[in-house]
Amino acid sequence: MILYTTMPQELIFQTEELEYEKQKVIEYEGVPLLVEMNENHDFRILRIMSSDPSHYMDDRFCPGMILSNRLYS
Amino acid sequence: MDKEFVRNESGNEEQEQPKEDKPSALMEKIQQLGQTNVPQLSQDSKIHCLTIIGQIEGHLQLPPQNKTTKYEHIIPQLVAIEQNPKIEGLLVILNTVGGDVEAGLAISEMLSSLSKPTVSIVLGGGHSIGVPIAVSCDYSFIAETATMTIHPIRLTGLVIGVPQTFEYLDKMQDRVIRFVTKHSNISEETFKDLMFAKGNLTRDIGTNVIGIDAVNSGLIDDVGGIGQALKKLNELIELKSEENERLVQ
Repeated sequence: MILYTTMPQELIFQTEELEYEKQKVIEYEGVPLLVEMNENHDFRILRIMSSDPSHYMDDRFCPGMILSNRLYS
Repeated sequence: MDKEFVRNESGNEEQEQPKEDKPSALMEKIQQLGQTNVPQLSQDSKIHCLTIIGQIEGHLQLPPQNKTTKYEHIIPQLVAIEQNPKIEGLLVILNTVGGDVEAGLAISEMLSSLSKPTVSIVLGGGHSIGVPIAVSCDYSFIAETATMTIHPIRLTGLVIGVPQTFEYLDKMQDRVIRFVTKHSNISEETFKDLMFAKGNLTRDIGTNVIGIDAVNSGLIDDVGGIGQALKKLNELIELKSEENERLVQ
């Protein structure tokens, strides 16, 4: 299928609302992190949003790590 | 503290075999929630780093699979950097395809009005609205292989009144041109020539400038990578502190 249109792709193929809710920014020990909630309601770190370069060297939060959320749910 | 705890536990291994499972699971929980006293990193770094990556997101939120730079994240960070007296300089790393004009210009204006020394590096690509962001810093670098696409402003979305929209776009383009020419050594004429050049991009107008070409046209100050950029930033910080001392005297 070819669509000839000036409309942006995301307007035609809209993403579900649920997809947006998966990702959010949380503050963890003073460091803003972009996290994604997985099936077990744990947060997986996607990106470190801090501007401090030393936060990227901290091995407590590397992208891909899972922060347990079990105590809250 | 938790290291000692582990050592004790392994020492008592024979006596308390069944109990061993529980505390370690508990400890894992404690660690993951960040409640143990982990050694703090020694000092706050005086140079902060801002990465402008992926698409620059405007009023429309892009689907989560896109990598985006959101202005609602960047601008509060810039405010915090301006306010924090411990931070002396800012390094901006760009690898962006461009995106929303208004959001891009907002970030550029914030960067150019920052009172602390700023240095930008374009790595990979600093296309379309990435150009004003790159030139907004006090000094700009481009990696030898990095590219910047300069092209006219376009619009995707609903167009109601064609002449009005055209005029609006033209004004918006002037804003970008004015910003870039004000903050870099490129002349308005050269920039417009690059913007409306034919034959460089397939079936489109605009130019793709690579590394040294961007420096030759006056858009970017120098070719270089992280080493040169940090060296320059440290020089600028020193210059700034000398200036402050002179003011005090």
